Order: sequence, then C-alpha cells, then structure tokens
Amino acid sequence: MVKAIYLDINLCCGCGACVVACMDQNDIFPEKGQPAYRRIYTMEEGQFPNTSFLYVSAACLHCADSPCIMGCPTGAITKDRQTKAVIVNGDLCIGCHSCALACPFGVPRYDLEEKMQKCDLCSERVEAGLQPACVRVCPTGALQFKSINKVLGEKEFKFVGNIVSGVHKVTNRR
Amino acid sequence: MKDVQRLLKKKIPTPETGIEIRKSICTICDPRTQCGLDLYIKDGKIIKVEGSEENPYSKGTLCSKGAATRQYVYNEDRLKTPLKRTGPRGAGKFEQISWNEALETIAAGFNDIKNECGPESVAFYSGYAKYFRPYLKRLAHSFGSPNYISESSVCYQATALSQKLVFGRPGGPDLANTNCLLVWSSNPFYTNPGDARAILKGKERGMKLIVVDPRETPTTAHADIHLQVRPGTDGALALSMAYVIINEKLYDQDFTSNHTYGFEEYKEYVQLFTPEKGEELTGAPADKIRAAARMYASFKPAAILPSASSVVHHTNGVQNYRAIFSLVGLTGNYDIIGGNYVKTPSFLHRAAFIRTREHEFVQPKSWDDMPPRIGADRFPVWVDVIDEEGQAMQLPYHIRSGEPYPIKAVIGFGLNYRMWPDSKGMLDSLNKLDFFVNVDIFMTETCKYADIVLPTCTSVELSELRCYDLGYIIYTQPAIPPLYDSRPAADIIYGLANKLGLDDSLFKAGYEAGIDWILEPSGITLTELKKHPSGMFTPKPQQLPEKKYLKTGFKTPSGKMEFKSKIIEKYEGRPGFEALPVYKPPKFSKEAAPELAKEYPFILNTGSRLPMFIHTRTYRLTWTSSLRPNFPSVDINSEDALRLGIKQDDVIRISTPKDAIEVKANLTQMIQPGIIHMYHGHPNADVNLLFEGDYFDPLSGYPGFKAALCKVEKVSER
Repeated sequence: MVKAIYLDINLCCGCGACVVACMDQNDIFPEKGQPAYRRIYTMEEGQFPNTSFLYVSAACLHCADSPCIMGCPTGAITKDRQTKAVIVNGDLCIGCHSCALACPFGVPRYDLEEKMQKCDLCSERVEAGLQPACVRVCPTGALQFKSINKVLGEKEFKFVGNIVSGVHKVTNRR
Repeated sequence: MKDVQRLLKKKIPTPETGIEIRKSICTICDPRTQCGLDLYIKDGKIIKVEGSEENPYSKGTLCSKGAATRQYVYNEDRLKTPLKRTGPRGAGKFEQISWNEALETIAAGFNDIKNECGPESVAFYSGYAKYFRPYLKRLAHSFGSPNYISESSVCYQATALSQKLVFGRPGGPDLANTNCLLVWSSNPFYTNPGDARAILKGKERGMKLIVVDPRETPTTAHADIHLQVRPGTDGALALSMAYVIINEKLYDQDFTSNHTYGFEEYKEYVQLFTPEKGEELTGAPADKIRAAARMYASFKPAAILPSASSVVHHTNGVQNYRAIFSLVGLTGNYDIIGGNYVKTPSFLHRAAFIRTREHEFVQPKSWDDMPPRIGADRFPVWVDVIDEEGQAMQLPYHIRSGEPYPIKAVIGFGLNYRMWPDSKGMLDSLNKLDFFVNVDIFMTETCKYADIVLPTCTSVELSELRCYDLGYIIYTQPAIPPLYDSRPAADIIYGLANKLGLDDSLFKAGYEAGIDWILEPSGITLTELKKHPSGMFTPKPQQLPEKKYLKTGFKTPSGKMEFKSKIIEKYEGRPGFEALPVYKPPKFSKEAAPELAKEYPFILNTGSRLPMFIHTRTYRLTWTSSLRPNFPSVDINSEDALRLGIKQDDVIRISTPKDAIEVKANLTQMIQPGIIHMYHGHPNADVNLLFEGDYFDPLSGYPGFKAALCKVEKVSER
C-alpha cells in the first residue's frame, strides 16, 4: 500500500519546523519570491475563557484522482509511478493557472516566473529510503509518512494498549 | 535530468553524489539540552540539515530554528574579520585588523585598567551561546575580576535562587516517571521539544497534567486542568493551592514535621488564601484551584516543571517561585523518582551522572579574595546563594555610578543592549565605558558601539563539550571550518588569556587539555569522546539514591527544607525581604497602583515564546521570519481590539509612563482580554524601552518584564 503524509491534528503545535525543513530541502527562499510548499494555519474558536484552537500543517494532498493533472493542458503535472506523488515539471509549465482552478484545496502556488510550485512528496528521498523532510523534522510526531492502514493500526494499538494496561493494573492489585 | 544530477538536486547522500553527513549540535537556542544535527556536506559546504537520530534527546527532530541552521551559518550579516572602530560609536564605521592586533589591543587596554583601577574594573559578559562560559568565567577570575556576568541574570538564576532558598539544591521534574505534572508558566512545545515529547508520552500512560499559564498554548491544549491566571499572580495561586492541600490534610505530614523549617508560620499565612481569595487575586476559578490542588497532592509521585524565567520576571518573582516550590516539599515530592529529583550537575548545569572538576575549573579564586561582584550591594541574597556570577542587570547602574568601584571596560560575548530594561539607558551606559569589546557571530546593533569587534562562529564550526541529563555526553567536531576569519569563542578566550600574560597553567595547557582536566574524575577522555562524533552514553553512570537529604540534610542554614527562609530573615526589614513566601501583586498593577491603572489599563507581558524566534537570534533569517510575516507585532485579544477599533495589522501605540513604541497588532483569542503580549528585542519595536531600569524584584534584581501596565491606542489602518 502506498505511503502518504498524515497529520495528527492533536499533536501539531504550529511550530513551523516542517515549513522550514521543506524550504531547506527544496532551496526555497521567501525573499526571492519563492512560495513555501508547506504552510501552517492556526484555527481559533470561541471567546475567553472558552476558547479552543488547532494548528494545521498543510501541503499538497497528492490525490489519487488528481484534478490538477486533468486540468493541465501541457502535461506538466504527472503522477510518480513508484511513490504516487503528484509532480510538476517546471520546464513544461506555462503558468496558465489551470491547476489552480482545478485544485479543490488551494494548493498550487506560483513563483515570480509564474511556474507552479508545490510539494513533490520528497519523491527522490522516499525512493532512497528516506522520509520526506517535513516528516523527518517534526518534533511532536504529528506528521507521519506511512500507509493509512499502518497509521490506523498504530492508533488502535495505542487505544487497546491503554485499556489492557488498565486491566493489568487492576489484576496486579489483587 | 540525469540520475546523479537529480539525486544531487534533492540532496541524497550517496557515494555518487559525494554528499557526506557530519554530526554536530544546534545551539541557536541554547536551553537545557541541545538537539543533535546531521549536516549534509557537499564540497565543504552545508547544503541541508536534519536532526541526528543518534541524539537521545532530540531523536532526529528539530524545531523551526534548528531547521534554519543553514541560513544562520551562511548569513550575510556574518562578521568576517576582527574590526576596530574608526567612526563615532554606533555609526558602524570600522577598519579590518588582524587577530594579533585585536587581541594585543584588548590585552593592553585591560592590563592598563587593571593597573590603574584594579582588575574588578573589567567585566566579562556572556550572552548566547553557552558552551564557552566555564572558560570565560575562569578568564575573569584568573585576571582578578569578580565580574563574570551573563544573560542568566535575567533567565535561569532567579529560579535557581528560589529553589536554593527553599531546598538548598534544586530538583528538576522527573518527567519519565511522574504521575502528575504541574507545568508552571512554561510551554515546552516551543522551548524544549524533548520535554513536550515526554509530556505527550506521559499522557499516553495516564499521567495527569496541570498547566498554569495566562495564555492558551499547545501545552495547555493537552492539560487536564488549565489555570489561566493573570500575569504576576502565581504566588497567590500557589498559596491558595497550599490552603487546600493543608486544610484538606493532603500534605505529607511526615515530611513537614521532620524535614522542614517554618511550617507552622507558613500554614498560618496560607489561611489568608482561600480558593475564593485565590480566584479574586489570580483570575483562575476557585473550583479549578481546588481541583488542581487535590490532583497535584493526590497523584504520587508528582512533579513541577518550572520555566527558567517567566515567573521570576515580576517584581515579586522570587517570593512567587518560593511559594510554588514550597508545594513540592508540602506534598513530599522532593528528591524522589517521579517527583522533583535532585541530580548533581556534571557540566554547564547538566547531569551526565559523572563526576567532574567543573567547579574547580571555573572558580580559580575564591569570591572572598576578590572585591564584591556587580550587584552585590543591592542584592545580598544573590551573593549568599548564587555561586556563579554577578547580577548583570546592575551593570548599567554600576557603570553610571562608579560605586563601589568604577567599571571601565566590558568584553561581551554576544552582548545585546536590548536585553536590559530601559535598553536606551543601557546603551548610554555602554557609551560611558573607556573600552568596550563585543564578540559576536553577526554585525549586530550592539557591535556598532564597540571599540573592537571580534568575529566568532556557530556551533557547527567548532568543538564543544556538552552533557545531557540522560547520562549522555558529547564533544563535537567541526562539520565545517570556521567561516571567513572567525574563531570559536573558546579560542578567543584562550588567545586573550595568553596575550594578557596570565600565570595560569590551565590556560597555558590549552582548550582541550582543560577539558580533559575537567573530565578527569569521570575517567572519560577527549580521545574516547572523539571516537563518538554524535556523543555517547556515560559508561559507568553514578547511581543517585532518592531522598539524599536523609543522609546529608538540606544545604540550607537550618539543614531543613525552609518554608521560611533563614537567609532572607537576615535582611528582614528591607522592603521585599520577607522570610515567608509572601504574595504581593506586581508593583505596576491594578491592585498595587490603581491610579496608574486608570491611565494605563492593559497588562503588558513581554517575551512569551513564539516558536520561530529565540530572543533576537533568528530575526535575520527569512525562513523563520516567514512563519510570522507581520512581525514585529503585538498580540492583542480580539475582543479588546474590536472595542478599540483595531483590526489585524493596524499600527497601534503601546505606551507606559516611560516611553512608547508603535507596532502592528496581531489579533488572537489565545490570550486573555486586558493583557497584551509582545516579543522582545526587535530593533523596530523594542518593548524593553517601555520599562524603567529599576522596575525589578528587590530580591533578585530581575526586571518585571511579564507584568507592567500600559496603554493601547490605534495609530493607523494597515
């Protein structure tokens, strides 16, 4: 099963390490008008003293059925056979913004030459057995690079583990 | 694209790409522990960084600051050569000079002052980073000056002071084994990610989490109970929790009867702080105070995780912290596994469970053989309790008054005048010096006022010794040589010791010989450490029993844990020197200064951590600053903003009786109404300009950075 980047929304603390690691990996320099591939959003709700907030680290979702690929008139956007990442070939991009119209999630961004820029899932790193830079750096483990069934399996195991350890505690007390 | 080119572009370390990984540590923020770095090197240049998986603390991760290491190292503001000032102070006009000329000029200047006024007239200051501090302190004392001072005078030392007054020896929270963690005004998600991971792990095994913080933070988001107090009222909260714990008989009666001093008076004093009174004083609901007190006292073992400096940045900071640490003794959680457990520091305050000669190294001369330190006259408790240094906050006063002796020269390693309250006054004071030397990585604002500026380098360009509380030790190797003509801070100190002609065999032996001398009792050598470039676990860690006080007593005048301080008692009568941990509201607050509060109705809280900045160190990096694009900006509660007609990014004026600054507004619900939060040290909006230099805690000299009063007005639309 293909691996993807998952965000545990309860663990993300909005520190932005993923954003910076991505910039370091991909040589993105904001001062040169180069857009970040990954971005942090803070969502606040309510009023003092009843407030709640969440952080979200967001980037391309690498959809299985990618509207941007279908929208691109030059074939600049393709799917990597091995990693299933949605990849942009800058040489073919004509800056028409069709992908922007097609993407339901607002992911595409454009550099000063109007070329579309976005996350490529660190495909070369993944092929070399490494994790995407954003996942590798994440200090809370909020970002994970795994197959969805593995992520869910680990979540379930944690849940089951807590119940079992509670039962053990009670049993040992007898 | 050819395969190798593609791999090169994506920085994949393989034999074909020639990209090599070298190990180091990050000290951009230099907290208790340093994260391990994997530096991807191609043709002698760092092309990418990653967390080092071998590092047992950071486990392969980094924060946004550490991830920006490459921009930090290759920053265009890097100092390249030693410089000598040619224009007026502050103009930034310098000429390049050689290292030899620079060090000889400094040595001659310092020796002249020593001969004319005495060695105490030269002060040696350390800002960030911290690895070179033992050598700088030895340099000061070996030269004959008691005046080794550091940024710890506004950071860790007052917390240490409070703990030492109560227990003699501070005990840190045993995060891995505690069943109830009380985090007091700290947000480790932004300051010590390793602690944040320990909290998350604790929560998974059922640990209870109580967090005291005026703000909503990623830490409070995980809390079972969040006590959202008003800044500066921490002492009242702690005393109110003590009220519940004592009156509901949840305290450790064996500990209080056998191992404490002043319990009856403390018990009587806390009767003033019913939870309802606590609510009135702190803003935290009485029921939550009760619940938190019961939880902390019932789930054993319980630990308190303090911050280095938020609680002490108040005019009643030390007393507030004493009230907080008193809870540790009250509940019998001192020096036990899972509680606040006492470890013996091995090096730079960290315990690697090895014995070293650090203290002997850093204190070649006894304090009694030197004139009094900076701040000694005003802060006698500091002198009684703090062994490391003078009180750096008093440096500007000492320079201006010349009493009890003149300060003529300062050498700063990373000195930033904007760290001081009344930062303009600090700058004026520096300008009164005969001779000011600053050593830094970058051409900072402060460097522009120095007579000589020396270029130093970052952690990845040098070798340093570090210990970790996990029983881990590392001696780093340079991943790249020092850039330009910069030198490691320790090399500069050793070079200066040589030029000063100090008769000090350990300086003459050299940097690495000095470290081997320090490590000698541990049996670990640099030769061994060099075989482990990413560090190693200490081979024979010392075993530390619980409750060491049963054998040795407490390192306090009474030999017991002191609810009532015998040290402060000596000075009783001076304002603020009460032997019990007495609560007083901040000097500038609605409670203590109602007239002032009418004109200045907002509480001004400064320096609460943002994830991408650490003091001023990453302001100049576009990677980190892109995470908060409207910076410098001040956090204001959205409801307050609405009331004042302020919208996101509007320019607002923050004023105190002292001064005013204009800055963009950042609207948020994560802070309480009536409080504004501003990060410090920005050249375009320096919030420290708003503080009087004498707005400080009379016990510690710490500025009340986290609770003053201010006015907020809209200046213009964005």
